[in-house]
Amino acid sequence: MEHYDVVVIGAGHAGIEAANISDKYGLKTALITKNYSDLGKLSCNPSIGGVGKTHIASEVDILGGVICKIGDKSAIHYRVLNLSKGPAVWGVRAQIDRDLYSQNMKKFIKSSKIELIEDEVINILEKNNKIIGVELSNTGKIKSKAVILTTGTFLNGKIYFGNESQEAGRIGNSSSKVLAKFINKNFKTMRLKTGTPPRIYAKSINYDVLEPQISENNDIFLSYFTKQNTNKKINCFITKTNNKTHKIIRDNLNKSAMYSGIIKSQGVRYCPSIEDKITKFGDRNGHNIFLEPEGLNSDVVYPNGISNSLDKKTQLKFLRSIKGLEKCEVDQFGYAVEYDSVDPRELKNNFETKKIENFFLAGQINGTTGYEEAAGQGIYAAIHAAIKIKKIKFSTKVFERDNSYIGVLVDDLTKLGVTEPYRMFTSRAENRLKLRTDNSYERFSTIINPKFLNKIEYSLISKNIINEEKILDQLKKLKYSPNDLMKKNIKVKKDGKVRNGFEVLKFLDPSKDKFEKFFNLSITQKLLTKIYFDSKYDVFYEREKKSYDQLNKNKNMNLTNIDFNKIPSLSKEILEKLNKYKPENLHDASKISGITPSALFQIVKHKKARGAKVA
Amino acid sequence: MFKSGTIYSNFTPLVKAPVIGYRISGEDVLNILKKITKKNFSRYHSLIRIVKLYQKDNSILDECSVVFFKSPKSFTGEDLCEIFLHGSPLIASQFEQLLKDLKIPGLRLAKNGEFSYRSVLNSKNSLKQAKAINEIISNESFSELEYNKKLLFEGDIVSGLIPLREEIINLFSEITASIDFVDDEDFNFKKMMKKTRKFFTNCNNLLHKNRTNIEQKNICKIMLIGQVNVGKSTLFNKIIDKDRAIVTNIKGTTRDILSNEFFFNSNQFEIYDTAGQRSKQGKIEKYGYKKAQKISNKIDHFFVLIDKNTKKSDISALLRDFTIHKNFSLIETKSDIYKYKTGNIKINHSLERDKIYKKLKLSSIHSKYVKNKHKKTNFNLEEMDFLRRILDYEHDIVNEKDILIIAQLMRNILDDFSFEFGYINNEDVYDRVFSKFCIGK
Repeated sequence: MEHYDVVVIGAGHAGIEAANISDKYGLKTALITKNYSDLGKLSCNPSIGGVGKTHIASEVDILGGVICKIGDKSAIHYRVLNLSKGPAVWGVRAQIDRDLYSQNMKKFIKSSKIELIEDEVINILEKNNKIIGVELSNTGKIKSKAVILTTGTFLNGKIYFGNESQEAGRIGNSSSKVLAKFINKNFKTMRLKTGTPPRIYAKSINYDVLEPQISENNDIFLSYFTKQNTNKKINCFITKTNNKTHKIIRDNLNKSAMYSGIIKSQGVRYCPSIEDKITKFGDRNGHNIFLEPEGLNSDVVYPNGISNSLDKKTQLKFLRSIKGLEKCEVDQFGYAVEYDSVDPRELKNNFETKKIENFFLAGQINGTTGYEEAAGQGIYAAIHAAIKIKKIKFSTKVFERDNSYIGVLVDDLTKLGVTEPYRMFTSRAENRLKLRTDNSYERFSTIINPKFLNKIEYSLISKNIINEEKILDQLKKLKYSPNDLMKKNIKVKKDGKVRNGFEVLKFLDPSKDKFEKFFNLSITQKLLTKIYFDSKYDVFYEREKKSYDQLNKNKNMNLTNIDFNKIPSLSKEILEKLNKYKPENLHDASKISGITPSALFQIVKHKKARGAKVA
Repeated sequence: MFKSGTIYSNFTPLVKAPVIGYRISGEDVLNILKKITKKNFSRYHSLIRIVKLYQKDNSILDECSVVFFKSPKSFTGEDLCEIFLHGSPLIASQFEQLLKDLKIPGLRLAKNGEFSYRSVLNSKNSLKQAKAINEIISNESFSELEYNKKLLFEGDIVSGLIPLREEIINLFSEITASIDFVDDEDFNFKKMMKKTRKFFTNCNNLLHKNRTNIEQKNICKIMLIGQVNVGKSTLFNKIIDKDRAIVTNIKGTTRDILSNEFFFNSNQFEIYDTAGQRSKQGKIEKYGYKKAQKISNKIDHFFVLIDKNTKKSDISALLRDFTIHKNFSLIETKSDIYKYKTGNIKINHSLERDKIYKKLKLSSIHSKYVKNKHKKTNFNLEEMDFLRRILDYEHDIVNEKDILIIAQLMRNILDDFSFEFGYINNEDVYDRVFSKFCIGK
């Protein structure tokens, strides 16, 4: 029987990152996929990145992950969102050639020491609530110290086209019943819903009448380490729904799986179906549709913005009412998917299940959505599996929510759970100004390991850190009184305070010429942008740190054994919430919506009184 | 039950008065009562008993009434008693010494607000209610009193701050949408800033409007003026029922302004006694007279005191000096000494205080100047302070161009609101975002 350190089940974005990092830790790693051709498949829209998503992806990148690098290798169109708003929310988004991505990913896995096994998992083997291995359909039993399950939406998946429905995870995948049974037996699950738009043949679209979105020529890539992308670039196109479209959809709402009442689970608010958009915001003239080509050689276009669960006839009818799509032909119709996910509150903070030791869950199975979110969880779970197996001393501070988006994600999932598929937004991070893609290497500096990155990447980071330290040193030696600054046409309070160069930087703007002239120092634009915003946001870092520390003071008051119903003074509403979220400690309780400081006070008091009685 | 010793404190001021009250709360109350009264109170919940207090040497300290409240049916939720001593500060000090001599571990003088604190700890009152109690006691305006009474007796009323919180959530969600869903919504920075400025203007207006309502005390201000030695101070003392102003036959005894507050028919007054008018004033007297003139614009009503020596020209001089138009009445004093007939109000100093109030027509004067001023308020003082804290952000936000900094500051405002009204987490903001904007592909 084979012995592994880590077995990763599922070779999507979470699984690949997990297997990769486990391998890099020098652990004997198996990656199991039911179908080799699905490895590294972009199952939904053909793009990686965007606001919030890039932020997670860049953290995965700096930790030695592959999503950004393979993404850049396969990108055929780039845009940077929010460029006007400051680098904390810049979001690189790349359109990806599906085939290239899948090929590049397969190449990468083959080049690594990861053992790829194409087989179906039929059972998880545990003894006394501790993982011992897995059982595969053909290979039989294999032993493993840890198992990371990253099987996406396979659990009791059901797809809907109008009134038709069929069992499956994604189209073409059959649900794995035994595994589902194991999960359902051991963990609390919940039913979620997502949708996908129809896919249209590119040749049937009349591009001449549509507005193109041209790939932006710039040097910002998904990965911190990418120097260039030589792929041919393609255009995306924008079109819009119109009143005719809306009428067709309204008239056929009873045929929508979602609206006819067949699907009861919670839909995704930020990824609404076109039925939702028309019902809630029907008074608009039109809703944007982004026509995204699936690849350089692909004949299929992904019309982003019109996911739906209408019947096939209605889908075709409403599509053909849209400008440019009058004669469109459909490759595959849109559908809604209902699936089970595990309540992420079944997980410990390290993504190990509370119930079974060394059993980790990552990716969509935890109630999230998106490639980047999956990748972040994959790498997070694997790092923690490795720490546990190798008994590495590790400060988890880098994964706290004030230091990383992965931390925000982990904290939100394991503390609050989800009611709809969880997607990352920059606004989820209280410390948004600090959690930037241009400083992720800094935020993770304590755990960046030459083993995770190749030599060139590692030396690039070290070089940047040294350069930055050098320039900050020089800046901090420069001193300016308010009078000096007035002479240089910079308005500051006449407070008599002498400011150093770093403190003065925020009064300039991030222009290289101005900087070099003002300080008589040379700098790269990239570094200038970074330190300029550090200077500008410095005061907010401090403030945020303070309030975070304050929250953390109470963090350790354990609430797991407390019966909230026995606290008579809590209102019904607050009781309901406490019982629903079951906060582990006071810090978590404080984050639940609607919990008042006075309620927290009552809890503390109750807890203390109980303590006194026992003593 | 939260246990941290037994506490005591006087709940009336320690001055000469009919009674001085003490309150004791904590687990040792019964024990203490047994020791100082030699009686068992355990079955006397909420009943008044007249008992003797014994000192260490068995001599009687006082005879007093004692009410005992058994836990949890007391204000603090603990065993509690209230003791009403005869109102001598000396007896009170003996009583405190008696308690100290008992040498009960943990028995100590209560800290400020500790009884209320315990009532909250033992779930007898919510924090908000405890605060409201405190505020009701210190209320100086009927508007705020009414507001706080609602807060205390009718449970949580909707604070005037709630609509502001809604506004700020709306603004914050708009910014959130513009950042995290940049593909979906057209965002207009200028428009958003216009709304933001409007928000702060609105806060400012509310603050201003309610400040005048809240800070409008229920007080009617009256001032006694007149020539020297006409008896202003005598009347002043009579009205406030204390020998505060020094009264002599010597002209110009009162040199500075004296003022005092008093109640009549639950109407509150502030009365000012002034230096008298005469041609040859001393330096200090002159200064006092000037000072009185200075504050006269805040005075609602003047009582111009006259006696038989007062000439018409003296009265007009007074009215001119204090720029008085119609808000005055003429009072004839010393009419017990000089008996003659006129149509003016006559005050005989041997009259009872209440009769003097009636003669002066204080009730109608009060309602003339004060009653119509008291308006409803949507805030109490604490909430007003909160509003000021919010306004502290105004400068930084409206002058900022970086939307991320604006967002961060608005988040800080939301955090402040969280502390008052319960936490607003990201989900609450997203609820707003997704219901207001059509977002997502």
